[in-house]
Amino acid sequence: MGVQQEIREKGLLGAVAGIGDDVFTRVTAGISVGEFRRMLQGEAPGRPNPRLKPHSEAFLLHIKPTYYHESATRFNHTFRLGLLSTYLFLIETITGLLLMIWYAPAPERAYADMIGLLTNVPFGQFLRDLHRLGAEAMVAIVTLHMVRVYLTGSYKPPRQFTWFTGVVLLVVTLFLSFSGYLLPWDQLSLWAVTIGTSMAEAVPPAIVGETVNLLARGAPDIGANGLLRFYLLHVIFLPLVLILFFFVHYYKVVHFGISLPADEEEIGEDTASRIPAAKRVYYLPDVAIDELSFLTVFTMITILLTVFFFQAPLEHIANPQSTPLHTVAPWYFYWLQGMLKIADKFIAGVAVPGILLVLLVAIPYLDKNPSRRGRDRRVAIVSGIIAGMVMLILGWMGTPKYAVQGAPSIEIVQELMPEEGSGLVREIGYAHLPLGVYSTDDHTKYDDPQFAELMHEYTAAVLHFDEQENDFNGARGQLTITQDQPGLKKINWKISWYDAQSQKEVFQKAFWLHRDSFYWEQYGLKHKYLDYLSNLISPKE
Amino acid sequence: MQGIFVKSPILKIALGILGALASIILLLFVLRTEDMRMADQTVNWSARKIENGAILFANNCAKCHGPDGKGQLGVAPALNSHYFFTKTGRLADVGFVGSLEDYVRLTVAAGRPSKANSQWAQRMPTWGSQFGGPLRDDQVVDVTKYVLNWREDALAQTPDEDPFQPFQDVKKPVGEQSLAVLMGAEPPPPVEKTATEPGAVRPPADLVTIMGCVGCHKLDQPQEEANRGPIAPNLGNLADHAGTRVDGLSAEEYVYQSITDPGAFVVEGYNNGIMPQDFATKMSEEEIRGLVDWLLNGKR
Repeated sequence: MGVQQEIREKGLLGAVAGIGDDVFTRVTAGISVGEFRRMLQGEAPGRPNPRLKPHSEAFLLHIKPTYYHESATRFNHTFRLGLLSTYLFLIETITGLLLMIWYAPAPERAYADMIGLLTNVPFGQFLRDLHRLGAEAMVAIVTLHMVRVYLTGSYKPPRQFTWFTGVVLLVVTLFLSFSGYLLPWDQLSLWAVTIGTSMAEAVPPAIVGETVNLLARGAPDIGANGLLRFYLLHVIFLPLVLILFFFVHYYKVVHFGISLPADEEEIGEDTASRIPAAKRVYYLPDVAIDELSFLTVFTMITILLTVFFFQAPLEHIANPQSTPLHTVAPWYFYWLQGMLKIADKFIAGVAVPGILLVLLVAIPYLDKNPSRRGRDRRVAIVSGIIAGMVMLILGWMGTPKYAVQGAPSIEIVQELMPEEGSGLVREIGYAHLPLGVYSTDDHTKYDDPQFAELMHEYTAAVLHFDEQENDFNGARGQLTITQDQPGLKKINWKISWYDAQSQKEVFQKAFWLHRDSFYWEQYGLKHKYLDYLSNLISPKE
Repeated sequence: MQGIFVKSPILKIALGILGALASIILLLFVLRTEDMRMADQTVNWSARKIENGAILFANNCAKCHGPDGKGQLGVAPALNSHYFFTKTGRLADVGFVGSLEDYVRLTVAAGRPSKANSQWAQRMPTWGSQFGGPLRDDQVVDVTKYVLNWREDALAQTPDEDPFQPFQDVKKPVGEQSLAVLMGAEPPPPVEKTATEPGAVRPPADLVTIMGCVGCHKLDQPQEEANRGPIAPNLGNLADHAGTRVDGLSAEEYVYQSITDPGAFVVEGYNNGIMPQDFATKMSEEEIRGLVDWLLNGKR
């Protein structure tokens, strides 16, 4: 029908409305404007249900179920953790792709590219912080997702294979996060990844371990080849594996349906895929509204955290010649690091994680109990909680707080002015460090309260180790602050003490602090944002 | 438990819209403050480069150029110097048309490969890794930023305070003094003249610094197979083997010959031509004799 004829029949407005409706229906793959309005108004669909059409017409919707069991859509049954994991992967993909524009995986460039991203790219820091926060959140949420599935017994038949793909996805997520760790090419990345790959070396027999290590690092030590390999793992290989397993996992989830709360079915029964008409909740519009609004609010919270509270760390440039004090793994590998402190590399780095992984995969086959109800699964739930607590304790042991005490003098300086990161001296900053020679012996009143706090902490630390250690007696700390250059102060630490044989020992270390530098723990910019905001609300001048 | 979760679709839609709006506002806020943030980060990271450079300078450069960058007589020139930082100063004298930053960076990276017209005991070593030195490019940049950070101090120096020494390689028209003198400073006493002034015998402990010996020879370290001086032999245990180096020369004769004619015998593993050949003209006979005795004396 020609346009002119249509206008003649319906009038101009009617014709335009008709074309609009037509376009809307095509874009939504089958939902007309009127149907959309009825959806929002909460009206029931007509028969045959026009809201099923997009599920067969549109690619993105055809993988979604057309309807869910009402009980499975309750928030406190799944907490939407699977959806969140997928969404975080999407965020990581988008921010990651954008970050790749300003990054080249070469040791000569990588670190400078990071600084370029922070100093010279609009939204550069935002993208980096969001990518980092998203990565850590993804590890946390995937883990929580697994804990939820374990606690509701949802791995039981027929979902054993779904559970297996889930375990694979957890491992891939951990590796994805860990492989991204190396890319900024700072001290934090280099040494965390050096520790990580050195565990692969412990795989027996020696030739296999060494080969695996060599393949991962590209050389006996991590260098240009290692960086390139981790980059390729991070941006191509692992994401592809994740996407493949995600689709298998999700296909299985849709195929069997989300398991229902255990109390709603008989023991040993699985009715999730046979949903009675009265219990159906259609994806369009109910579940879709729920998921979209949930993700929007989640996005808003993530952006809020990124802008004001989270800053991805960037330490000094990677230096294979100098191992920083207290090298730590990423927090999700603290438990491994904790184990490495009490057992040897083979047991802690290969045997236990390997057995743990096999156990995790084997859970559906080991747990023969047909019931998913909590009161029938006391052994499973208690052992799960014990395993979780052991992980937490090992994780605490993985932090520098446990069993890596260095020499007292080194620890004292490390506490107040660490090689990497901030510490109290950098936190109080250039302006609060008056020039002069100060000693922990004299108890003068310092005018500057922040400097007074620093000297108090210094004195307390020296006294603490003096009392604790036999080899550290009559200790005395000195702090010399000199103006080395315009805008640059030299902070010289000198600690002297007597060892167990009454020999006098002296330790000296110098750091420099510039007027304009700030460190990521200071959240310098984030504070600035807050100042800016408060100034917007109530101008000071 | 159920009650606390949002169930009404209208409320969900409203929350979703609010969330989207809040996200947009947050992003607009970031956009509004991006210029401020980037400027702050630029300042921060260049400040951190100076901090890194300070450590590198203290570990590698301060030994010759002095911890305050004011140089050492006969060893290495002053960098924290008015002459060094002015456009008509050092750059003009060597005819370098680039920026001072480029000049410093090039000199640190490549060193001074030539000893022609140089009065310094040791040539500037090559530091940049692309020329075989120990520092990566970013470290060369860091140490350069640190040296340039003296600008404010150096430019505030009066000609009298300027610690620079007259460079021998500066070619000035006859009868003209160096730039600092033109600016009103007293002419610095020429190095050679003090050496020949009658009656002024300088003590050996001063001579090893003035002549720049300590720039290459470590006096407090013994020369051993496991502890060889990198540029020149260590002199800590000179007395132990000075008499055995060359047949027919006693320890005193050997050391005297090594100072006055360094090319006569070169210890295996070191290169001829690094040690200046003109010490005989820079020190009096008496001073050289005193220096030989002092060097061979274990208790120095």
